[in-house]
Amino acid sequence: MSSEPTIFIGPKTREKIPEPLTFLKCLSCGVENSRPFKEGDYVLKVVNSEKCPKCGGAQSKIVNIYVPQKKESK
Amino acid sequence: MMEMVSEFLALLNPATGTGENLLSFILSLVWIVFLMVFFLYPSFGQRMQLGYMLRDLERKLQKLKSIKDEIQTITVDTVKREGPPQSDFSKEVERLSEFFIIQPESMDPYGLVYKLEHILETGESVYESEVAKLVPNASEARVKTLTNLFEILRGINTLYRVVRHYYLLGKKTSNIYLVLQIQMILPQLIEIAESYRQAASAFSKGQPIGDGVGVLVVAKLADGLEKTRYEIAKDTIVQELELEKRRVYIVRAQGPGGTVGRPGEAVKRLVESLSEQPKLIVTIDAALKLEGEETGKIAEGVGVAIGGPGVDKYKIEELAKSRNIPLHAFVIFQSITEAITPMRESIAKAADVVLEKVRKVILEKAREGEVVVIAGIGNTVGVGV
Repeated sequence: MSSEPTIFIGPKTREKIPEPLTFLKCLSCGVENSRPFKEGDYVLKVVNSEKCPKCGGAQSKIVNIYVPQKKESK
Repeated sequence: MMEMVSEFLALLNPATGTGENLLSFILSLVWIVFLMVFFLYPSFGQRMQLGYMLRDLERKLQKLKSIKDEIQTITVDTVKREGPPQSDFSKEVERLSEFFIIQPESMDPYGLVYKLEHILETGESVYESEVAKLVPNASEARVKTLTNLFEILRGINTLYRVVRHYYLLGKKTSNIYLVLQIQMILPQLIEIAESYRQAASAFSKGQPIGDGVGVLVVAKLADGLEKTRYEIAKDTIVQELELEKRRVYIVRAQGPGGTVGRPGEAVKRLVESLSEQPKLIVTIDAALKLEGEETGKIAEGVGVAIGGPGVDKYKIEELAKSRNIPLHAFVIFQSITEAITPMRESIAKAADVVLEKVRKVILEKAREGEVVVIAGIGNTVGVGV
């Protein structure tokens, strides 16, 4: 009797791992932007390396990190 | 040749009226053999059913194994990224995946909570230091998150071993009832395993998970209002702030590394150190929803909202009873999968709603100058201070 099962199940049956978005709030103009999560991001982290797309402000704060809900198709 | 075929067809045709219908004879024979098999071997049907069940179990067990292997690969790859170059971590990872904690003896329940606390704390410290040895250059927060990743590997390893045990035992003893029981709960176990797979990915990247919603609420409450901050118990901090002249003490695990801290011990030490008795202790935590319930649903009640082995819950209950402090609780509902995988939008949005509710409770239940303790419970991975 083998201790390991033999039937192979491929990776096709796998559920896709949800990827979260990072929401940054510009500390100059208060506008909120989102982008895909990057390693090292955490909620309440102050980010100095990314410019605000609206006012060009250099400092922003991560206010949320979550997986957006899929919009239901009508 | 054609003649032979037509003769054979005539034998099979009941309309020929020869009385030598071969087809009906063969069919009758087959039926008799079948009846004899079932008559002489009554458990034949059960054997067949067992065979089907074992094949189904084998297929699902293979799925569990592939999830376990994938989590192991994620763990090894993550350690490789953080650890010293040119090191082979496979053996060490495997060794840590077999790590165990023996529950204390409960024949004599006296002092059981403290024995359990001691064993869990020792286990946690030992495990964390073993992980830290693999990644000597990683930050403290990262080591904590990696320790969570190893715990996931440990969990899936145990799950796989237990299911395989029952599969092989059922096969060896041909015990249909044993196989039936494991087959019945296997869909739920596969769901848990799938959650582990997604959780491993979240922890390897340091993403906030659904369970962290309690911590997220208090992090948002303290944001911009914090006056002082200090560590009160291992991995657990207190943030002091003022909210419309009420003195608010927030207790939470220190982020952004993956830890739940020791909220029970922290609340106990905090309340004992305060000169004034708190008017209220509020706990905020994630709770498991029932099937059909909406993710992110908020409920409010009385008591201590803390899951886990019960040590923290016990300590706060003891403290509140001895000092007659009211206990208020908020829970945010989610499934087991949502609790350990990257935070969903509905849970993050619920945190903002709970934040407003907590503010309202503080203002309603405490007057100016009075003290309130708010404990945000959960894993603080990806939630900073």
